[in-house]
Amino acid sequence: MLRAAMEGSEDNGNGAGGNGGSIPARTIVVAGQSSQRTREVLHALRGFANVVWPTSLESALAQAGSNEAACLVIADDLREEPIDEFLQEARELRRNLPIFVITDPDDVAEAVSAMRNGATKVIEIPPSYAALCEEVSRAMQ
Amino acid sequence: MKELPQTVFVVDDDDAVRNSLRLLLKSAGLQAEVFASAPEFLAKYEAAQPGCLLLDVRMPGMSGLEMQHELNLRGATIPVIFITGHGDIPMAVEAMQHGAFDFLQKPFRDQELLDRVQRALVRDSENRARLRHTDRIRERLASLSPREREVLELVTQGKANKMVAGDLGVSQRTVEIHRAHVMQKMEAGSLAELVRMMMAIS
Repeated sequence: MLRAAMEGSEDNGNGAGGNGGSIPARTIVVAGQSSQRTREVLHALRGFANVVWPTSLESALAQAGSNEAACLVIADDLREEPIDEFLQEARELRRNLPIFVITDPDDVAEAVSAMRNGATKVIEIPPSYAALCEEVSRAMQ
Repeated sequence: MKELPQTVFVVDDDDAVRNSLRLLLKSAGLQAEVFASAPEFLAKYEAAQPGCLLLDVRMPGMSGLEMQHELNLRGATIPVIFITGHGDIPMAVEAMQHGAFDFLQKPFRDQELLDRVQRALVRDSENRARLRHTDRIRERLASLSPREREVLELVTQGKANKMVAGDLGVSQRTVEIHRAHVMQKMEAGSLAELVRMMMAIS
């Protein structure tokens, strides 16, 4: 079960956040702890209309499970919550939701594990967030 | 029907790797067949043969990923474990997106490989059991008359006999008779079971 709260998380001010309640249509849900990586992801996605960074894993999951979510981006490790478990729960909620996982370069084992547990695609960072934006654009269509 | 024994197929262009994998698999009591190239394997492989496949990514001629694509085109369900000394994330993602069971980087511990092979063999058994189950359902389905098929489709949509009768323009009694035949031919003990069968083949 999801128990770990993402300390220091915040809404990016560009959409709904926080309580896992209703979100606007075609929302991009970003899950990740308060880290440089998560901030970079939010910055890379600044061109998209509805991006939310929920304040807890529970609300990230609830928002990803909403029919309004266009995709879920797992930006960073989720502290106490294993990403694989989080992925499985998200996949159970929304079978066809595009889920993108950002990972370190060359971490093939993590990429394989993420794919096995329901990620649509694993994107290594660096070199850039261009691939993420491309995938998100596709998901929005 | 007697099940064939499971075989671990190894496709790798490196003689030393092939031989060491064969010895390792044999030491674990597993039956192994090795191939030096993708075309050699594809020429001999029969989908009825249960097992799993250890597949090198980089090989001259047809690569492991190309061979996986060919197996997918053939509708093969054999679990594929990629092994490579030069793996990267895009390669692993592509392999997994196309249905690879696993992707293992060299060097790996013997036990790590054997564990994954065992999991792949379990997966293959499950896949084959599921296929046998759906094949049986399809056989039963094929034994239904066109009218029974219509009744089946409507009752599994949750329609009561009276509604089915209205939709088909027949009496309720006729629907009841067709429905009884459907349940008997499909070997379904309940409507819920019948719905599950239809979901299994959908």
